[in-house]
Amino acid sequence: MKNLLKLAALLGLVVTLMTGCAVNRATANVDPSTDLSSIKTMYVKKIPEDGRGINMLIADKLRSKGITVTTGTEPPVSNVEAVVTYIDKWMWDITMYMLELTITIRDPKTDFPIASGNSFHTSLTRLSPKDMVNEVIDNIYKGAK
Amino acid sequence: MNARPAKYGVFVAAVALVLVLAGCVSPASREGMALQIPAFGKQFPYSVRVQTSGGADTGAVDTINISDADLKAAIEDAVVQSKLFAAVVQGKDGSDYELNVRVISLSKPLFGGTLTVEFEAAWSLTKVEGRSVVMRKSVKSSGTVTMGEAFAFVTRARLAVETAARENISLGLKTISGLDL
Repeated sequence: MKNLLKLAALLGLVVTLMTGCAVNRATANVDPSTDLSSIKTMYVKKIPEDGRGINMLIADKLRSKGITVTTGTEPPVSNVEAVVTYIDKWMWDITMYMLELTITIRDPKTDFPIASGNSFHTSLTRLSPKDMVNEVIDNIYKGAK
Repeated sequence: MNARPAKYGVFVAAVALVLVLAGCVSPASREGMALQIPAFGKQFPYSVRVQTSGGADTGAVDTINISDADLKAAIEDAVVQSKLFAAVVQGKDGSDYELNVRVISLSKPLFGGTLTVEFEAAWSLTKVEGRSVVMRKSVKSSGTVTMGEAFAFVTRARLAVETAARENISLGLKTISGLDL
């Protein structure tokens, strides 16, 4: 009986660790009528409460793709071709980590999302904020036709 | 009295409870996202093909998500019931219009009593002949469910997601009904 209980507890622990702590998801989509590669100037709109500089990571990643990028909390200047917004969600497990990141590239005139990407990684498969940003933006550009 | 088996029993019960609660997570359903008696006051004599993307399946211990297939089905149901378009076409050919709905963000709280889910989807309608885009709109909606409506967190979260999805579908189709096609 004692061994059976031990086995059940062990099985429960293994199943919990294998499922609950390792959820990974990465999706991206681009509006079919948009040519993302033609957009050469973007403005990353910083969330005022963002004290981790996620806007800078996004701007740097976009610059590596040959795009001229500015960033800040003010409204974008009128001549940018796209505005980039983001939503970052954080969790604590021993240390804080980024659980989920959504990046959206928008038409500055209409606010229409022309492309979007999302990555979700729970604690055991956590990525650094820079790697999360890289994954989301790379997936967006992979999805671009 | 031997306390050790009791200790193991509690542990096993706790693990079982966690697994049972986690196992209860189910995605937003087609039925849950369905509009009740949808009517938009307009009936276009054209056919439409609905495409969805950006959604995600819900794992057994994942957060509640909206799958592309369920969102597509819920939109198609609303179009058919409201007769907004004369026909819904499956497959690549034969439709007058293409409705493309992309899930942009589904912001869900990870815990809490009253849950509010924020949902944004990009709606675009394209006339197949000439490939002209007749509508592009960001549709934002939200759904709030209190503990009085559902006690279990996973149920509350699913209901909040479904409420936000229903509102989004309603707003998106209402925008289309305002077009002059």
